[in-house]
Amino acid sequence: MAACRHQWEMADVEFGFVAFERCFHCDGLRTFFTPDQIPFLGEEYREGRCFWRRVEAAQSFRFGLRCARCGERHNLEELMGLLHCTGCDPACEIDRLRLQAEAEGNWVLVGFGFTDKNGPTPIPPAKLEILADYFNQRRDASRPRLRLLSFEQIGELSRCHGDFLHDVGMLSLEPPPTRTSPLVAPAPRRAGDAVGRPHRENGNDDPRSH
Amino acid sequence: MTIRDLIDRLKLKPLSTFDDRDVSGVVVSDMLSDVMAGAKSGNLWLTVQTHKSVVPAANLVDVAAVVVTSGKSVPQETVDLASKYKVAILASELPTFELVGKLYSLGLGSA
Repeated sequence: MAACRHQWEMADVEFGFVAFERCFHCDGLRTFFTPDQIPFLGEEYREGRCFWRRVEAAQSFRFGLRCARCGERHNLEELMGLLHCTGCDPACEIDRLRLQAEAEGNWVLVGFGFTDKNGPTPIPPAKLEILADYFNQRRDASRPRLRLLSFEQIGELSRCHGDFLHDVGMLSLEPPPTRTSPLVAPAPRRAGDAVGRPHRENGNDDPRSH
Repeated sequence: MTIRDLIDRLKLKPLSTFDDRDVSGVVVSDMLSDVMAGAKSGNLWLTVQTHKSVVPAANLVDVAAVVVTSGKSVPQETVDLASKYKVAILASELPTFELVGKLYSLGLGSA
């Protein structure tokens, strides 16, 4: 029996938020998907030596892929989102591959895994290929092809200024004009800052103003 | 119907450089996640979103063009990025509701 030439379609779509939490003790970042209807920004809690605070919640969705021909399914539970490379670091491997792809008439996005204290969880390359196949199959054949790269090729994650394709600040319709990448570590706290109370650059400690 | 046809008929203002192509159906949303989950290749995407993230999202789902409605001004960095990837960004002074009515009367639905 010939192998199926998969025709992928989205399945199991669930809308919710990708929450970004940062520990202001160790500067750790972690992210997870929540089907909550309301993003609880500013929520804080202690876990061991860490003080986690929800610093950003982006409206997003999770999904799987199903072959319309043979029914084969793949979940994409590791996928936090897709990142558009802004070319912020010429020494970054992603930027090099982006320029190469663009020279060939194609374009790239970066698949990003959810993050825990140890860093982002890798997405299996086979899943990235299937996801790229899905998006390419639905494109007009004359259009540039999408290549999906892994975040593991980003030179220095904590300095990456790529744009996530997430809906940030959508409760006010327009994203904040000065959004900084949630990957970038915040500036060190100043001497005299109260312990247990993270410094906010705009001096406003009301989490609702985020 | 092509992007150029719609520009002429609805007096849309092209902001970016793009290759003309057929338009099949309309999607209306101000959320990238909605569009990524529900738009189809060749759709016209009506939005008031002007952040540059609309460009990779539009490219990802292969919409024919993005129409920024209600006379919202589009940042130059969004236009430049769109031109780089040949994503059509068009502007309309009409509110989204009114533009949807005109598109519907031209035979474009939510295909």
